[in-house]
Amino acid sequence: MRIGVFICHCGSNIAGTVDCASVAEQAAAFPDVVFSTDTLYACSEPGQDAIIEAIKEHRLTGVVVASCTPRMHEPTFRRAVERAGLNRYLFEMANIREHVSWIGKDMQANTNKSAELVRMAVAKLRLNTELKPKFFPVTKRVLVIGGGVAGIQAALDAADAGLEVVMVEREPSIGGKMAKLDKTFPTVDCSSCILGPRMVDVAQHPNITLHAASEVEAVSGYVGNFEVTIRKKSTCVDWSKCTGCGLCTEKCPAKKSYDRFNEGMGHTSAIVIPFPQAIPKKAGIEKEHCRLFRTGKCGVCAKICPTGAVDYAMRDQIVSVKVGGIVAATGYDLMDWTVYEEYGGGRYPDVITSLQYERLLSASGPTGGHVKRPSDGREPQSVVFIQCVGSRDCSVDRPYCSGFCCMYTAKQAILTKDHLPDSQSYVFYMDIRSPGKGYDEFTRRVQEEYRARYIRGRVSLVYPKGDKLMVRGADTLMGTQVEVEADLVVLAVGGEAARGAPHLAEKLRISYDAYGFFMEGHPKLKPVETNTAGVFLAGSCQGLKDIPSSVAQGSAAAAKVIGLLSRDMLESDPQIAQVNAGRCIGCGKCISVCPFKAIQETEARGLPKVEVIETVCQGCGVCNATCPQGAIQLSHFTDNQILAEVEALCRF
Amino acid sequence: MSVLKGQELRIIGFLCNWCSYGGADTAGIGRFVQPTDLRVVRVPCSGRINPLFIMKALLYGADGVLVSGCHPRDCHYAEGNFYARRRLEVIKALLPALGIDPRRFEYTWVSASEGRRWQHVVESFTMQIHDLGPARRLPDAPELDVLKMVAAE
Amino acid sequence: MSIQEELQAVIKEALPDVSCVIGWREGPEPLRAAPLFVRTPADADAFRSGYFAVNNPAVFLPEYKGGKVGVVVKGCDARSVGQLLAEGLIRREEVKVIGFPCNGVIDVDKVAVALAGACDPGEIQAAREEGDELVLTTPSGEIRLRKTAVTADKCGRCLFPNALDADVFVGDTLEPAVSADDYADVAAFEALSLEKRMDFWEQEMSRCVRCYACRNACPMCVCREHCVALSRDPRWLTQSDGVRDKMFFQIIHASHLAGRCTGCGECQRACPARIPVLLLKRALSRRVEDLFAYRAGVDVAGPPPLLSFALEEPKIKERDW
Repeated sequence: MRIGVFICHCGSNIAGTVDCASVAEQAAAFPDVVFSTDTLYACSEPGQDAIIEAIKEHRLTGVVVASCTPRMHEPTFRRAVERAGLNRYLFEMANIREHVSWIGKDMQANTNKSAELVRMAVAKLRLNTELKPKFFPVTKRVLVIGGGVAGIQAALDAADAGLEVVMVEREPSIGGKMAKLDKTFPTVDCSSCILGPRMVDVAQHPNITLHAASEVEAVSGYVGNFEVTIRKKSTCVDWSKCTGCGLCTEKCPAKKSYDRFNEGMGHTSAIVIPFPQAIPKKAGIEKEHCRLFRTGKCGVCAKICPTGAVDYAMRDQIVSVKVGGIVAATGYDLMDWTVYEEYGGGRYPDVITSLQYERLLSASGPTGGHVKRPSDGREPQSVVFIQCVGSRDCSVDRPYCSGFCCMYTAKQAILTKDHLPDSQSYVFYMDIRSPGKGYDEFTRRVQEEYRARYIRGRVSLVYPKGDKLMVRGADTLMGTQVEVEADLVVLAVGGEAARGAPHLAEKLRISYDAYGFFMEGHPKLKPVETNTAGVFLAGSCQGLKDIPSSVAQGSAAAAKVIGLLSRDMLESDPQIAQVNAGRCIGCGKCISVCPFKAIQETEARGLPKVEVIETVCQGCGVCNATCPQGAIQLSHFTDNQILAEVEALCRF
Repeated sequence: MSVLKGQELRIIGFLCNWCSYGGADTAGIGRFVQPTDLRVVRVPCSGRINPLFIMKALLYGADGVLVSGCHPRDCHYAEGNFYARRRLEVIKALLPALGIDPRRFEYTWVSASEGRRWQHVVESFTMQIHDLGPARRLPDAPELDVLKMVAAE
Repeated sequence: MSIQEELQAVIKEALPDVSCVIGWREGPEPLRAAPLFVRTPADADAFRSGYFAVNNPAVFLPEYKGGKVGVVVKGCDARSVGQLLAEGLIRREEVKVIGFPCNGVIDVDKVAVALAGACDPGEIQAAREEGDELVLTTPSGEIRLRKTAVTADKCGRCLFPNALDADVFVGDTLEPAVSADDYADVAAFEALSLEKRMDFWEQEMSRCVRCYACRNACPMCVCREHCVALSRDPRWLTQSDGVRDKMFFQIIHASHLAGRCTGCGECQRACPARIPVLLLKRALSRRVEDLFAYRAGVDVAGPPPLLSFALEEPKIKERDW
């Protein structure tokens, strides 16, 4: 092999702590290296051109680039060597930025380490072979998990582009958190007025199949051809018969049931249509509240239903569907704020969450839009908002900023004044975070026009005094203690990953961070991709974000899926297992460990052997590590290639 | 070119591409300074790691071997790290029977987001190997000096 | 009728159904039995069982996959059969297993030691069992040795003197002498300093000639001519004559047997350099037994432990950094 080595300075990112010229000089002496140089930015256009030039000029048959992580630019350089006529797998990278220059300051040690990493890369490259992808057909259908605003946007965009969309929503209606909001910032326009029509579009779009009250049970397969199992949870109402007339909800005797949609701010019936604009507008029984399920005596809804849709014996239903791509848009949940004992830990009825307050403000809410204290139904005069409850607080393991609370608190203060012109709002804040179009102006308006009093400081205690609540905190700008008498305290509770998000991530085989938010492929350049091909992210499941950002991500994820499924055939990664039939004894150990069932028995000249189903193999290499005689080898990560890397290190 | 005399020992890491290699990248992006001894071999999955790679490294010149994969249940390939966990745990039992200090090999799980944790793992493991010092090496066959043999004929 | 005669009768009876029955015959040396392949009823007369029937006939079974074969097994041999079955390397319906109770077998190396110079082992003309004694005929007369002094180590820790899962069992079952394998040999070795342990291997392995007799005698080494030791693709081993490559072959062998080794000790017995290679395998077996409560060839209901996993591994304590 004729190998060329390129040591990238990455400006000063690498060259600052690695002597790149020295590494290039050392590399020139490595076996099969015929050309070696250092370069300012290998990934830039002149950098790539120089590689292509060198391949031609020095008749290189293999290239090593020592630069950043291969997770960043391996595809870039593979394309570059391909442009010069080399097979893209005759290329190796040495990671001397993330793994060397950025983590050590000792120039001598870094230079030495870089040279060794290049030596490893050269040793492996000498055993690389040309690999060519195979092609396989794709299923032109996409699964959208989660029917909040991000999922709705992704679904509609994909459906408009002609793709079939399957949407799975855990709740009985789509709409997500946005459906619960009264108004949205910074325009203060009606949330359900802008979301409602989009929800109707989902219901009516010929390309969209909606499974509400359903969850993804299992996912198998791979990009282009996922097999998804969906559990449609029993609602005890046959939705093909239910017309959404609501007669059952009126006659249901269990009127004191917890109202989930209204965040417990009101009561509802045990058979319930979550809210008037629900999509689908179908009734469902909440078994824990239903008299029939609790006492065995009732059955009123079944008797009253004009279409006979109520079926108490209804069971969960399992459906499976094949899709080519998946968009996860599972959103967020509020963190459990009751860990804050200083705010009463949930014992004071007039300390409520911001989402509960939204329901009190909403005309379709339990109070019809009249702001009333939960304790006695009085209109509050003094309303205190406490920000950063469960955000930016290491003591409850929520060090991150939830991002949207500053803005919705400002909005709620404005709405409070609109609803109760004589009221006074107080906002305890840490910092006002309002980057965004028209956002900062909005937070000024609430203070200057609506006369909300903003107090910079944290609240240390909320305690009852008579029928009021006393809010004690610091005013760090004045350097004083303050105590405010409040009729109502609204906590701007931060968000966290949706309940069960890690569990779904495991099913989708995507990564998630310490807080359960799904990991994007790259924090800047792949914000809606994941590291699992064919799985994309939209909305707050990736990290908390407001409505405009969620919608933007929904569209972005849809664009990615549309791009993926616009092709009739996909390229399969050729880094898959290969069987050397001459060495295989057909013992079948590889078959038993393969996570993808990608290996099957076969026969050669009457002897038992195995073979790999090329489009099913995902290239994990478990089989390779299992085969005692090494008859099955993972291409590009063969035993010999890994051993060569080990030996390159151990020899010295 | 060798490990820096008196400063570094030979430590080889086998990292799965999806979680731990990414975690090491995350540590780099965060500029989390680490000891310089470790050299990383990138593999697709911890399940790809034949325990014999570890034995090979330890027998042929490594002072320490570190394996890191995705946390159990988070494997990019669903099950690879479950197999790895059993195999790595079992192979560890071979070290004391060979006269190799079992602390020369450790395996752990680091996700792509855990840059800080990766830094801690590298620091701890490197310190552990430095405490143990250079490993004893079994001798290879003496090099055959063909010229001398011809001269002797 | 003696057990040997009964077994001969059983073998003859089995013959019409199977292409052959594998057992033992007298070997060219009086202390060593040789494998016997009974194809006709007349062949069965050469069959010998007992103290000298040392080698493990299970090693031949995988070659017969697809046909039907009979095999006479001691308890330890039966474990190998069990493990081969568990891994699907042979099929239950293709093997007729004939078992008998085993009181232990000879360790020829120990005889030389026990003779203590009284006679050159090569001069032994005949050998027979008499109760607790081994009686050797030599040019200078009969020599009597206590069997306890010349019985194989593995027999002292044998938990299964009666072949498990036999189709036919001849004789009365025996009680095992011990109730558990305490791996005292492994523990004793690991009580030495690390330095001494490696010294030991360096010295022992320097005698290895890489003949692979250990591998060829192993009933679980089913790769045969496809063994990685003979291959350069993958190139796990080189032609180097150093202790390092010799040691590494033993590591490969032990690692390939992790969770599979039934402890028959054939590797060690076959070694012409008398290197105690079973020790490495037993170190792994102990660990596998600790972690997964799995004894190869005995607990074969589920898949072998290293070809399976559990979501939670109650016995594995992962490193908490």
